[in-house]
Amino acid sequence: MISLWMWWYGYVTVRLRGPGLERLLNKMAELDIVLHKVERPTVDVMLARLKVKDFRRLRPLLWDSQISVSILDKHGAPFFFGKFRHRTFLAIGLLVSLALMAYLSNFIWFIEVSGGESIPTEALKEVVADLGLRSGVARSVVQPRLIEGVLLKQFPTLAWAQVKMKGTRLEIVLTERDQPQGEYTGPGNLYAAQDGVVTEVFVLRGTAKVRVSDTVRQGDLLVSGEYYDAHGRKQSGAAQGVVKARVWYEGVGEAALTRWEPIYTGKSHRQYLVTIGSIKIPLGRSAPKETHIPSEREWQLSLGRAMVPLRLTEINYREVEYQKVSVPRQEAERIALQLAWESLLRQGVEREQVREERQRVDFLADGDGIRVTVQVEVLGDIGLFRTH
Amino acid sequence: MGPALKQNLKRKVAHTLDLPSEVLLDQATIHLMGDAEVHIVNHKGLVGYTRDCIKTRSIQGMIEVMGSNLEIVSFSSSEIRISGKIRQVMLT
Repeated sequence: MISLWMWWYGYVTVRLRGPGLERLLNKMAELDIVLHKVERPTVDVMLARLKVKDFRRLRPLLWDSQISVSILDKHGAPFFFGKFRHRTFLAIGLLVSLALMAYLSNFIWFIEVSGGESIPTEALKEVVADLGLRSGVARSVVQPRLIEGVLLKQFPTLAWAQVKMKGTRLEIVLTERDQPQGEYTGPGNLYAAQDGVVTEVFVLRGTAKVRVSDTVRQGDLLVSGEYYDAHGRKQSGAAQGVVKARVWYEGVGEAALTRWEPIYTGKSHRQYLVTIGSIKIPLGRSAPKETHIPSEREWQLSLGRAMVPLRLTEINYREVEYQKVSVPRQEAERIALQLAWESLLRQGVEREQVREERQRVDFLADGDGIRVTVQVEVLGDIGLFRTH
Repeated sequence: MGPALKQNLKRKVAHTLDLPSEVLLDQATIHLMGDAEVHIVNHKGLVGYTRDCIKTRSIQGMIEVMGSNLEIVSFSSSEIRISGKIRQVMLT
């Protein structure tokens, strides 16, 4: 292992050629010359790394031997900085750009907001701008806790706000409160949200208009908001209660009995993409997606904690040929069943509420697919409040 | 005083004073790190170096490190660090 210290003082890779190399190594050790990464590619050749100052002490040892020495490579700080001796402006340019990058990384250049979808962007921008938060503001001026407090105060729908600084990027993460549901605002009735057979009626306010085992259609009146109080007077209020019913849902899913699978041909093609801010510069040509499957690797340039808006993406396009393969019936059925259940879940069915489930499997007319129909019976509250 | 007598005397002194014998007797110490690295301290010189075998002298005799892809990581007057796939360390 070459230490950083050695790199700082500079070291050379030397090739020693001749007979009795072990003896020479022992002589060098006697002079306290330390060798690193000693390799023995052939019997009469040895490669070793040693400090520059030790190399100068090596010459006298070779006078009375048949060993020749040559420098293969020079490494370390003295050689690295030596390159700049005759390229003053390159060195100055490098230093200036490093200093500029270090200086610019002290500012916020990107502001990202996540969450808080219902809050108008313009209103949010206005509030943060009033707090002095804009692209180009110094990191030291930004007070995350203050901004969080003001955001929570200005937007009462927010439950939580967090301001995070990551290098030159500032992230505002917002979380909104869940809106209270089912609030009764004025006089109204409970109507059937869907067709079903009533199994339970529980009225908190109003008059029940259906009984257990009644069949109701969507939109039928279930509980009226009108009722008579303790003095026998007719009142009109917001109907409240629970009307549970057995409801049926149907979900259909279809799956093919054949599919096209990609087979890699072994040929591949690479393209590079340099992204500077929002500008993307492609290096090399892309390949058609119909015959190639791309995979990406990304490298983001960063200076310590500071993110620099420079990214390199390598896109590897692997050529494929599509081959038709048959899908086992069980697998097709499983896929179709999954799709049928996804359809049921989209209709609002919850698996825990299902009392009965029926499945039917049919082949499609063209014989190339399968259809699964799932019918479920669910027990649920079908009451939907609507004002007059 | 002969060298054997001198060594014997040094051993007795080290034992009586409870001193580490490798310091007083100049004995070689071999540290084996798994099967990937060997450190030999207090060696008396390199005798042979190939990718399969590295031989060094010590006061106790010849130390042979055998294996494959052997490489001297560092070499100084007092210490040799060897890396590679170590199969056998022998004192002959």
